[in-house]
Amino acid sequence: MAALLEVADVTVRFGGLTAVDAVSLQVGAGEVCALIGPNGAGKTTLFNAVSGNVAVTDGRVTFRGEAIHRLTPHEIAAKGVRRTFQNGGLFGQLTALENVLVGLHTRVDSRLLGLLAGRKAARQAEQAATRQARELLDIFEIGHVADTPAADLSGGQQRMVEIVRALATEPPLLLLDEPAVGLAPHMRAQLGAVIRRLAAERGIGILLIEHAIELVMSVSDRVVVLNYGKKVADAPPDVVRADRNVLEAYLGHA
Amino acid sequence: MPRLRVTRRLFWLVPLALLPLPLYLDQYRQYVVNLMLMYVPVGIGFNVVVGNLGLLAFSNVAFFGIGAYTSGVLALKLGVPWWLTILPAGLMGALAGCAAGIPALRGVRLFYLAIMTLAFGELLRWVYIRWVPVTGGSFGMSVPPPSVFGWTLETEGHKFYVFLVLVVLMVVLTDRVLRSRFGRAFMAIKDNELAAAAMGIPTDRYILLAFAWGGFVVGIGGSMYAALVGHVTPIAFDLTELILEFAVIMVGGLGSLLGSVIGAAVITAAPEFFREWLGFQELLFGLLIIAVILFLPRGLASLLARLHPVFVDRYYRD
Amino acid sequence: MLAVFLQLVVSGVATGMLYALVALSMTVGYRATTVVNFGHGDMVMAGAYAVFVFVGSGLPFAPALLLGLVVLFLFGLGTQRVLMRPIIAGPHLSLAMMALAIGYAVRGGARLEWGSEVTTLQRPYAQDAWMVGPVVFTTDDLVIATFVILLLLVLFLVFNVTPVGRLIRAVFQSQRGAALVGIDVHAFHGVMWGAGAALGAAGGVLLALIVPLSPDMGVWTLLRGFAAMTLGGFGSLHGAVIGGLILGVMEKLLGFYLSTVFIDITAYLITILVLLIRPSGLFGRQAAVRV
Repeated sequence: MAALLEVADVTVRFGGLTAVDAVSLQVGAGEVCALIGPNGAGKTTLFNAVSGNVAVTDGRVTFRGEAIHRLTPHEIAAKGVRRTFQNGGLFGQLTALENVLVGLHTRVDSRLLGLLAGRKAARQAEQAATRQARELLDIFEIGHVADTPAADLSGGQQRMVEIVRALATEPPLLLLDEPAVGLAPHMRAQLGAVIRRLAAERGIGILLIEHAIELVMSVSDRVVVLNYGKKVADAPPDVVRADRNVLEAYLGHA
Repeated sequence: MPRLRVTRRLFWLVPLALLPLPLYLDQYRQYVVNLMLMYVPVGIGFNVVVGNLGLLAFSNVAFFGIGAYTSGVLALKLGVPWWLTILPAGLMGALAGCAAGIPALRGVRLFYLAIMTLAFGELLRWVYIRWVPVTGGSFGMSVPPPSVFGWTLETEGHKFYVFLVLVVLMVVLTDRVLRSRFGRAFMAIKDNELAAAAMGIPTDRYILLAFAWGGFVVGIGGSMYAALVGHVTPIAFDLTELILEFAVIMVGGLGSLLGSVIGAAVITAAPEFFREWLGFQELLFGLLIIAVILFLPRGLASLLARLHPVFVDRYYRD
Repeated sequence: MLAVFLQLVVSGVATGMLYALVALSMTVGYRATTVVNFGHGDMVMAGAYAVFVFVGSGLPFAPALLLGLVVLFLFGLGTQRVLMRPIIAGPHLSLAMMALAIGYAVRGGARLEWGSEVTTLQRPYAQDAWMVGPVVFTTDDLVIATFVILLLLVLFLVFNVTPVGRLIRAVFQSQRGAALVGIDVHAFHGVMWGAGAALGAAGGVLLALIVPLSPDMGVWTLLRGFAAMTLGGFGSLHGAVIGGLILGVMEKLLGFYLSTVFIDITAYLITILVLLIRPSGLFGRQAAVRV
């Protein structure tokens, strides 16, 4: 069976700079694949290439066997690839609940004319989405902040809301860009448990960028290491931990 | 004793309470009240683009003017009764909104789009002045007295009731748009367009939609202008008018439907009182907006929101 | 025929110089602060009126001009410091709205004072005209061209040769980077906002040589400045200048060969068409975003 996500020889160039250099990787359903490497290694660029936010110069990205690297970000998202953002991509003026509702956007079956005419079906679709969003927040134990504007939430709560929002449509593939940044240690552990559960119980494929190495080692099935835009390792965590190339990438070319 | 449950349904009391108003007001005061009513849709449509979508748009007076001219031309040149010109005025406004928003489809964003709306608005105003056979040029045109179902609206009181119906309709419809995935998409685009696209929202189409809806509602305001003032001239839709409309949404509350209504009520009567002093309107509203940005950035609506949660703008349905 | 064409180009270049100056002054403020000053046109207008007032109070033209520019510099600096800085971390919309509101207040003030009378700025020189071959040059053309070219030369030198210029370019490149190496970015914003206002004011004075003063002259100029910036590529300094020149010439050519209406609407059409067809203009970096 083909992998859920297949990145094949993807290269991204900005002018003369090659940010991602012929990288290939695969993420299967229910698999957690971590993407690590020093700053500037091209991790986020690769993410953006998958989610359609930067143009792929060369190579292919396929999702469920379908090429997606020429699609726009919203088309890719609608196909079931959802992501979070490194610097927090929440809608600050919207509440936690409304944020999750935006995450559900493609699933809310309400038409403009139906809404304007006050049709029952449209109203009920909106109400059902609201109920679903509340339930999701409850499941992830942040239901008590549902009506708080996202900008007023704590860092940990914001991370959780962003993950819930990305998850709301139960996408087959989730891209998490440094979800643990700014989280206290116990929150990190909790986040790790959430990630494992999503993969194991719901069969979601997860591509994870993370600097918190202990989190990476504890949750991932496979670790891909990037350095200067090139893939230098792709193996289970314990193998990668012992890999000389990886050590060099991190310890600075000594 | 059971506590009275405060819900949004209680807002219906406001138009009901206004019903007896014409009994107490003379023609001039009633005219001023009608003016306030007219600025409700003008403010609402503007606020959708500026407050909800978050785009500094200068084309609002253009949509307003298009609505007024559509009503005026249909009534004067083709003899269409006024009430039948309301919908066309809204549709022309929506069309103009689409035209102003089209560059969004080409990836044009932020102030590029703002500049585009500025050029678009000025171009339209130039059309009003130059297309003399249709618009009457600089002197404008006189619109026949408005009529509804064959009844002529002779007094300001008559117009008041028709306006009230229109205003309530526009408030309700816009509320339905905003408190749905469409309204949430506008807000999402304003806060973080990248993240909005990552939620599967085709942001360019939604920008166009916000413009079209804004243009529609403002265009209806324009047809009310034609009925209320009875005379449509280019000078009514210049940049001095625009500052008044900015003041309506800034003072009322950016991105708040309730704010648009409050803003229309408190701001629009003012010019009636200092019409004689050229420039006073721009000076006063300029300073007022500066003060609001510094000291009350979410406008008067945010004061109400502090009083009771029912006044908080919500973008979902329970 | 050729004579007519040349004549149109010459007078187009003269007006284009004005647009170029205004567009350049807007670009300076924009590049320094990343805020588009939608009230900039009113600084242009205020500059013209300031010089008008100083000349009216008996000052000779040159000191009046200098004083006018200083006043506008201080006004730009002051409004940036007092009104923009408190909200600098806020949403971009508030900043743009603030600039717009300041412009409106200034315009309203001018209209309150001078709105009902026609005022003109007396030329400090005698208007004359010469034939060079078949083409007529007026003193106005020459004064505007000389002044703008000198100003551009000075700016070019300041930007590219002096240490101040290096600093300015550093901030233009990266606000955060500049802050990291110890540049006081806040103070810089104020100074550049003021410099933009003063440059715009110079444009206003030149404009006042050829048209009567009016509170609305600023908006008229703003729209042409935007057209020049858009055409040249938003944020590009040399693009603003070249865009201004092209706009000036095109207004005249289209106005003569197609229809006089183009004198009024060329700027609007250019803005709209460029944004539709090639949003980055002639020399701009990418204006469109991929979302």
